[in-house]
Amino acid sequence: MKKVIVPPQRVQPHERVAPVPYMVWAVLFTVVPLLFIAYYALTDNQFHFTFDNITRFFTATSTMEAADGTQKVIHTYLLIFWRSFKLALISTAVCLLMGYPIAYIIARASPKAQSTMITLIMIPMWMNFLIRTYAWMTILQDTGILNGILSALHLGTVKIIGTEGAVVVGMVYDFLPYMILPIYSVMAKMDTRLLEAARDLGCNSLGVLRRVIFPLSLPGVFSGITMVLVPSISTFYISQKLGNGKFYLIGDAIEGQYVANNLHFAAAIAFILMVALLLSMAVFQRLANRRSYGGA
Amino acid sequence: MKKMSKIYTALIFAFLFAPIVILLVFSFNASKSLSVFSGFSFKWYRELLRDGETLISLKNTLILAFSASIISTVMGTAAAVGMHKLRNRYLRAAMDSVTNIPMINPDIITGISLMLMFVFVGSRLGRATSLGFGTMLIAHITFCLPYVILQVLPKLQQMDKSLPEAAMDLGCTPMRAFLRAELPEILPGIITGMIMAFTLSLDDFVISYFTQGNNFQTLPIRIYSMTKKTVTPKMYALATLIFFTILALLLASNFIGDEDTRRLREERQKRRGKAAQPKKRRRELSEKTKRRIVYSALGVAAAGALLFALIPPQPQVLNVYNWGEYISDGSEDSLDTIAAFEDWYQETYGQRIQVNYATFTSNEDMYAKLKSGAVSYDVIIPSDYMIARMREENMLLPLDYGNIPNYENIPDNFRNLYYDENNEYTVPYTYGVVGVIYNANAVDEADAEGWDLLWNKKYAGQILQFNNNRDAFGTAMYKLGIDVNTADKADWDRALAELKDQNPLVKSYVMDEIYNMMESGEAAAAAYYAGDYFTMLDAQADNVDLQFYYPERTNYFVDAMCIPSCCQSKELAEIFINYMLSEEPAVANAEYIYYASPNRLVYENEDYIDEMGEEAMDILYQGQDKFQENYNAYAYRSLDPETLDYVNSLWENLKIN
Amino acid sequence: MQKIIELKHITKSFDGGEPVLKDVSLDVYDNEFLTLLGPSGCGKTTILRIIGGFEQPDEGDVLFLGERINDIPAHKRNVNTVFQRYALFPHLNVFENIAFPLREKHVPKDEIEQKVHELLEMVALKGFEHRSVTRLSGGQQQRVAIARALISRPRVLLLDEPLGALDLKLRKDMQQELKNIQKQTGITFIFVTHDQEEALSMSDTIVVMSEGKIHQIGSPTDIYNEPSNAFVADFIGESNILDGTMVRDRVVNFSGHTFDCVDEGFGENTPVDVVVRPEDVDIVPVEKGMLRGVVTSVTFMGVHYEIIVDIGGFKWMIQTTDFVAEGETIGLFIEPDAIHVMPRSEYSGMFGDYSSFSNELDELSVVESEDDE
Repeated sequence: MKKVIVPPQRVQPHERVAPVPYMVWAVLFTVVPLLFIAYYALTDNQFHFTFDNITRFFTATSTMEAADGTQKVIHTYLLIFWRSFKLALISTAVCLLMGYPIAYIIARASPKAQSTMITLIMIPMWMNFLIRTYAWMTILQDTGILNGILSALHLGTVKIIGTEGAVVVGMVYDFLPYMILPIYSVMAKMDTRLLEAARDLGCNSLGVLRRVIFPLSLPGVFSGITMVLVPSISTFYISQKLGNGKFYLIGDAIEGQYVANNLHFAAAIAFILMVALLLSMAVFQRLANRRSYGGA
Repeated sequence: MKKMSKIYTALIFAFLFAPIVILLVFSFNASKSLSVFSGFSFKWYRELLRDGETLISLKNTLILAFSASIISTVMGTAAAVGMHKLRNRYLRAAMDSVTNIPMINPDIITGISLMLMFVFVGSRLGRATSLGFGTMLIAHITFCLPYVILQVLPKLQQMDKSLPEAAMDLGCTPMRAFLRAELPEILPGIITGMIMAFTLSLDDFVISYFTQGNNFQTLPIRIYSMTKKTVTPKMYALATLIFFTILALLLASNFIGDEDTRRLREERQKRRGKAAQPKKRRRELSEKTKRRIVYSALGVAAAGALLFALIPPQPQVLNVYNWGEYISDGSEDSLDTIAAFEDWYQETYGQRIQVNYATFTSNEDMYAKLKSGAVSYDVIIPSDYMIARMREENMLLPLDYGNIPNYENIPDNFRNLYYDENNEYTVPYTYGVVGVIYNANAVDEADAEGWDLLWNKKYAGQILQFNNNRDAFGTAMYKLGIDVNTADKADWDRALAELKDQNPLVKSYVMDEIYNMMESGEAAAAAYYAGDYFTMLDAQADNVDLQFYYPERTNYFVDAMCIPSCCQSKELAEIFINYMLSEEPAVANAEYIYYASPNRLVYENEDYIDEMGEEAMDILYQGQDKFQENYNAYAYRSLDPETLDYVNSLWENLKIN
Repeated sequence: MQKIIELKHITKSFDGGEPVLKDVSLDVYDNEFLTLLGPSGCGKTTILRIIGGFEQPDEGDVLFLGERINDIPAHKRNVNTVFQRYALFPHLNVFENIAFPLREKHVPKDEIEQKVHELLEMVALKGFEHRSVTRLSGGQQQRVAIARALISRPRVLLLDEPLGALDLKLRKDMQQELKNIQKQTGITFIFVTHDQEEALSMSDTIVVMSEGKIHQIGSPTDIYNEPSNAFVADFIGESNILDGTMVRDRVVNFSGHTFDCVDEGFGENTPVDVVVRPEDVDIVPVEKGMLRGVVTSVTFMGVHYEIIVDIGGFKWMIQTTDFVAEGETIGLFIEPDAIHVMPRSEYSGMFGDYSSFSNELDELSVVESEDDE
């Protein structure tokens, strides 16, 4: 058969003008500011070009006491980076494990229940997140609500606040909706006939989930991962409050340098974080595209 | 399976709502504690309604969220419409990528990048203030835009392409066709986008933190700056009110929606004489949802319009920048200092004045803001060592003491201190001493002495340390007898080693969290500012017995009012400073802050002495006569930049251990 | 008769690609039912969009009642369109969809009320005024679309494959109804379809197109009986198309036999294409046949049998009411007026052999082509 030429839609005058304000805006307030980060990162206080800030990031060292009591020298910022990424990845994984089933359950509920549950998931986001995090302190602290309940049930007590666990709980709590919503919206649009077809072709429930629902929901999963990973890497309030001030993450480092008025070094850390994120997102997106469209 | 998924759903929602239940419950707490519930009371709601500054910041937050969401919705929708039809592949790809940037960039980077640009451009243009409502609005619009675009674009793609053509065919101009045929189709996407934008803007803290200016403080920033003092249950009350408002809005729109569909269904049944067809149910409900969204959006928009109408015209303005929770604000029947000043000014001078009151978290935070040259304040209240630093850098203006006659009530003890040896720039506001607070039920009386208590292995895991580098290093240096203002790196290294030794014993590095932890008995010992001990004492749990003492060598500090060089109206600022020294506000502030006052009108005031009680007076004003001597020996002074940077890196070193 | 629309030497391509219309000229007369017929991608929808004002020709003129309208935008043309998938506004009910053009012109309320009801009556949708258009069946949506396009009394109504989405029975009914509406209103209809049966049964004039060119313009009988080339012959109805030689006027040779025919004017010994429609071939005993061949397949079609006969390696299709068995050798007889001679064209030799014929394949390709354009 001959290739059919699909005539593109005619562009109306208003459609030609419409995106112009946004284009200008995006250049002025999205692209140019990023150039400023690079500019500040690569200059000193007198705005003379220098690599010192970047070098400092990679070479600054601290001493740390190892488990056996010996002192060892570590790269300060590389360690901070590594810790931040680790915590963010753990939080993202937990969000995915918690959020995926609930997105699935919601997507298969009755339409009325769906809209109610989605609303319920969004409501906490309207409450200030600083306040919400504060409330978690009340729950998780050693003499807090959680331990109160546990000891009332004679289950002993747990020490959570000040541990990685508490920071992860805080991040998961704050960012879980960002995982649930994109996965849900992909699943809600899924054609139920596909599921029936899969059953018809001999899949059991697990098979349908694994071979049909999961591959189809991947775009939602990928955008959920992005939306959770990015903010959890850079958070500094949660680690301050729930980590007992013992988790010093990239966000804390940037904020610390900003407050110490080392704008140029703060910019350098931000710049490196940005480059690292952009690179990993590019790789991730490539991976995501292959998975979603190339067939799993 | 069914049952399991129900249980699972319940668990997830329990997780999501647990903190909300907590803040709901504690908003009714009779005491100030956020961890010990001591009785039911509406007190914090009353306080909230009386707290003008919080209400202003709430109003600011809403104004910002409304403006940002409306503007970004309009611009984003237009952008989506254009991008949808864009034929140039490269331009389209470029626009897609740019749209993605704010989404894959952490908000801290978006915030910093915008701040750097505003500050840079502002300084090149020679503007005194480049940060303010405008810059915050720009920042919020910038990060809201992609969410709107990403909601609207798919709706355009799903839309039947011939709808706008059909409308044109039937006599609409292209623009009318867009409004009448296309817009109704993509409206759900637009509204979802707008609600998302609104939600994000409302909840944003980080980007606002970096782009805020002097005359416009939002709620999240106000809450964050309470971290030296304490977050009060007032904020919980506020969150609770917000929660119920949203719930009510949703329920109302739900009800309207249900009413509507029921009428529709009845009508149809009447016409058909039989039950409704179940086949197209899905579609019906989604329309109902659409309608519900429209109703809630209308409700929200109406509320927004009302708020805009309530903004009063701008009279004379005075910008004040102070620590969080560092002024009597009208709570617990105290004086609302700012409002009282505004009233007093109008009575005295017959003119209206508006005070923009903003708060900072730390001296360094305030310094960074002022140093950037992007903000402008008329009165600031930093601590001594920061005043010294700002003077060195010519960031302060000399005061005209002729305009501040109440200065005569400041005794000689508090004049001519090192940061202002000739009495040119400052008027002291409060002063204090760092002491050790401990829970006598957990700490042996014998151990409660000197700094050693905070290094005592017996109390491992129950000790708190400052979460700011100057104060934390201070404790170690006083303990070791090192000069806290040394420029000798070896001395600082010794202090770091001392802090590293302490690190395994430390439960938590704290600022405002100390209140919760000490009140509830979570921690046994901590160093903090003397006055704050009494705040904790008021709220301590039944099984906690908080005590206080001063170590031999410890920090003495003065916080003083000054006028920064970016001041726009020096005379007004001096009038304000003078007012703050007058009896009524000075007493109210001293009672509220609980720190010692250098003002004779305060510490000689009978009511004040009664109100504070003997113990408090003893502790707060102990050794007032020898103040200058101690102060000169132990106060923090300004460190040179190299030392500052070094201390900062040592601090990072400690924190990653 | 008055020319209502004239297309003069229209050429159109999209984004610099191959032209989809190549120098197309066409006259449309007042009051007629004209059908643009052709396979997917032949450019028929583009012609419609040019007339409707949604596209501008790269070259050539569009005239409306003799006036050039190239630069007049869609909303100012006295031409309305019924879109392929109806393009009803989902946010408006039936009444408001139909009233849409009148509201746009700020027609008084009672007049709108009256006109909409008139049209609802015409398309037999009385009582559906307040129904949401998303809850209508395909046929009902179709009627709403027609009523909406007709309410402002356009001079010309453009219909872009409007029946494509309907099932067979409904389609037949709607064909009849459309025809009636056209007669009743006297509006010129320009109808686009790839279904030749639909075109034959409804049109006053058929325009057969392929690859951006017009092959033939004529009445349904002309097009069927006198196709201008092998493409048209193949596209309209079933046909056996054979290589032949015009010996002289009224005598043509093909399949190794010389036939009398009614065509003339081709000159002597000219290579030509010969069309013989399957229903025009009579089966006779072998000895009486002008041609003989072996039956290779027999399909019962209800009214008749469709048989494939191998004559010297070329497979003919013949429709007959007599039963013949597979493998049987039969004779064929063709009347002179059943033979249609056409000049050679670029399509010669491409069509008309049934050696790979199958009903199913045919249907499949129809379904495939529906979603394009």
